Amino acid sequence: MSEEMWINMGPQHPMTHGLWNLRVRVDGETMTAAEPIVGYLHRGWEKMVENRTYPQIIPLADRLCYGSSFTWSHLYCLAAERVFNIEVPERAQYIRTACIEMQRISSHLMWLAAVGTDLGSYTILLYGMRERELFLDLMVELCGARMTYNYVRIGGVRNDTPPDFERNVTRVLDTFEPRIRDLEALCDECETFRMRTIDIGKINAADAMNLGLTGPSMRASGIDLDLRRHDPYEIYDELDFDVCTHTDGDCYARYRVRMDEMRESVKIIRQCLEKMPKGPTRVKVPRCPPKGTAVARVEDPRGESLMYMVSDGTDKPYRLKVRSPNYVNLSASPAMLLGNKISDVPAIMGVLDMCIGETDR
Amino acid sequence: METLYTVLQSLSEWLLGVIAWLIDWTRLGFLSGIADWVETEPVVTFLTTLLVAAIYFITLFMFGLCFIWMERKFMGRFMDRRGTQVGVLGFFQNFADGIKTMLKEHIIPKAADKGLFEMASFAIIATSAMLLGCIPLSPQFYVINVDLALLLGIAIFSFAPFGILIGGWSSNNKFSLIGGMRAAAQLIALEIPILMVVVSVVVMTGSLSFIGIVGWQQDNIWLAFPLFIGLITFFVAAIGESERVPFDLPEAEAELVEGWQTEYGGFRWGLIMLSDYLRAYIMCALVTMLFLGGWDGPDFVWAEIWYLAKTFIVFFFFIWVRVAMVRIRTDQILTLGWRRLLPLSIVNLLIAIALKTAEVF
Amino acid sequence: MRIEDMRYTKADHLRATGYIFKSMKVTFKNLVRATVNRPCTILYPWEKLVYPDNYRGRPGIVLDKCIACARCVKICPNQCIEMVPIETPELGKVKRPQINVARCMMCGYCAEECPTNAMMVTPEFELAAYNRADMMFDPIKLQHPHKPGYEVNYSFALISEMKGGAAKTYAKNDPEMHDTIVLDGVKCISCQRCAKTCPTGSIEMAETGELNPKTKKPIKWPKFDNAKCVVCEQCVEVCPKDALSIKEVL
Repeated sequence: MSEEMWINMGPQHPMTHGLWNLRVRVDGETMTAAEPIVGYLHRGWEKMVENRTYPQIIPLADRLCYGSSFTWSHLYCLAAERVFNIEVPERAQYIRTACIEMQRISSHLMWLAAVGTDLGSYTILLYGMRERELFLDLMVELCGARMTYNYVRIGGVRNDTPPDFERNVTRVLDTFEPRIRDLEALCDECETFRMRTIDIGKINAADAMNLGLTGPSMRASGIDLDLRRHDPYEIYDELDFDVCTHTDGDCYARYRVRMDEMRESVKIIRQCLEKMPKGPTRVKVPRCPPKGTAVARVEDPRGESLMYMVSDGTDKPYRLKVRSPNYVNLSASPAMLLGNKISDVPAIMGVLDMCIGETDR
Repeated sequence: METLYTVLQSLSEWLLGVIAWLIDWTRLGFLSGIADWVETEPVVTFLTTLLVAAIYFITLFMFGLCFIWMERKFMGRFMDRRGTQVGVLGFFQNFADGIKTMLKEHIIPKAADKGLFEMASFAIIATSAMLLGCIPLSPQFYVINVDLALLLGIAIFSFAPFGILIGGWSSNNKFSLIGGMRAAAQLIALEIPILMVVVSVVVMTGSLSFIGIVGWQQDNIWLAFPLFIGLITFFVAAIGESERVPFDLPEAEAELVEGWQTEYGGFRWGLIMLSDYLRAYIMCALVTMLFLGGWDGPDFVWAEIWYLAKTFIVFFFFIWVRVAMVRIRTDQILTLGWRRLLPLSIVNLLIAIALKTAEVF
Repeated sequence: MRIEDMRYTKADHLRATGYIFKSMKVTFKNLVRATVNRPCTILYPWEKLVYPDNYRGRPGIVLDKCIACARCVKICPNQCIEMVPIETPELGKVKRPQINVARCMMCGYCAEECPTNAMMVTPEFELAAYNRADMMFDPIKLQHPHKPGYEVNYSFALISEMKGGAAKTYAKNDPEMHDTIVLDGVKCISCQRCAKTCPTGSIEMAETGELNPKTKKPIKWPKFDNAKCVVCEQCVEVCPKDALSIKEVL
């Protein structure tokens, strides 16, 4: 097989985790070119929200990404609060931060589960999903929904925490922390997993910055940039946590960064519960914001996500631009894919944590 | 059970006697010659052999189904779920699957090479079924026992890669082509270590028939103890030969949809899946036979029970390895085959020769 | 030092302690646990997860409480709620919301907006049907037994009061604190449409004391009873001259 051939992986393919197409040119088993094609799941989200009032957009923002819906609705509310120029009650900020971190853990667990299937181990999938269920149950208790929470509101959160919430969260965290070791035993300490991830999809710090990688994928290349630390929102500047980085820049380092982030998230949630003050959780907001623009960016589980909002003084946004971390990470994927084997495609793309809902919008 | 053949022989003698009596009873003179012929020795032998073969195949197909069931249930428990639920302990799931695949439409891709496409599946299924005949369950319960049964078995076993390669090629699909190439490369890479280990067993026992090999082990020692390296090598290669995780790259569903089986559907696919499990059973049987003393065991139950128990235990290890690992890559499997398993098997062979020349056994 | 030259620094607890034996140990532990106890899966059609009362399934309604203010219609992001006329022995001819559940995304906004908590979120999530017509829940079908946990309540504070530290919180639809309707008297033509459309009957046409110079009849302007008003904005929408507007309490 000296001839090169193009292979279409997608839009219907087990590797894709959604609807997108990866065209790769292979020479035997080695990839010589790769071309990601998105657009199969385009809903016109940015245009659609121009016809919705400000509160109506929150559940729609939830649906940008099924994996980490909370961070997206939170990001939207953060942008809207900056347009409205209102301050959020402190208790609401603590609840939000705790929820964001719970969402981060459950998103990372789902990512781990997906990586498990991509690499051929259903055990990792089921263990990851089992652990994720703990956090979904907490969110059900809090706001009544498992995946699309619709819990953040402009100016606070929907409702106060239920009476036993703190105790339940502590209990879940106590259960979950030792179980991270089990997941690591399945991945880190399994030689085949290391064979599949170490030195695969390498990208160095300079390339990662030039290609606009963000989030765990960039931190795995040794760049210490976490918006929770460097552009703090909510109450992150009051909390004590580490930004997890690794220097290797390969799939294994990306995996390690995410596993470490789960531990850090557990730490953050504990601190939030400790420091959580009493008080109101929501303020009443006006219907129409003043004219103006606002930018909000947060550290999504997948990277840096940003919303730019233009208000023209009516009750509907004039324009809402979304910067999805995955869209940029995806366009950086050819740099990681080239030169690797075709078996590495699921490993590399799986570790990138693809979510097409936010990529295509 | 040792009188299975004789029981069946008397049964067929009785049956044929009844037939001869019926023919005589018609009092048609020209049939009397046939009545005499029916009761002759060759006819009785033929019918007995046919009955034995039928019973044998039905038994072994049931074992194949048991293997599927066992894998489903054990994998379920390994992964903290329940496994199949249809019927008694989920055993009828296999029959449900069989009926389902049987009722499906048989589709041949338009651009496929029709003759080869059909032939490949039959080649794989037929060789797998043929192999069953070579494996005795006990010194009395077997279909054929040629002196070179081991060589015959290995020879038939190594025919499957051609079927897979042809099937992958003739499907006219890029995924199945790559899958077929991978399968051929992998099976050939692992065939050599297997043969080397088999040679060491032959050197030790001085016999090429299974009954002779197990007989030697009954007289002396289970070969697992002197040839432990060989057991490990054979076990790893056996997992690869039966195309199971972590060596299931020919059908790596993450990157290659379903590998070389992508275009097969309906009952052919069902039979290919069944033959996969039959091949797994054969590999387990070989491990049992060559290293674990076959049907050797205390005398309080039938020899067949010992043999099957050992086979199922070996298969349990297959499942265990499957749940604990992720799939590895083609180049890694080839490296493993040629650089690790082959030297190990040669070391094993040297040990066997040394033990034989030192006349330890 | 370039990134490519750096090897992954292996922390102690990450070193592979024997090729696959650790993961085999973990899975075996799970095998024993799942065999001795029960696996963590739920056998769905026979067993169900226990969900709290606030679980957001399809919306449900208590017809007696509903006042047909249509706030749910306005807030619904999917626009799947519609007010339809029904006739029941108890209520007579009234308008009540009908929900296209096939389009509903269970966001719970309708229950959150409802001023009387007539609309609520029910934990009913098994909504599969054989055709689309079955997914159209008319007010009668939408009815659901009431339970306090199904209601969506929240408390809020006012931004103006937030500045002074710990603020007072108000319940949802606190009559003291909700928005008010204001009338721009110059524009009013006394058509009484707002009074007719008001679902709570909080608008009353009151005499202003002036006389219409042409007809010599007293001019009537609407007067709002804030205790009764639920800020459904129907009067604002129905006003032909845009004389009504909302004054927000912030």
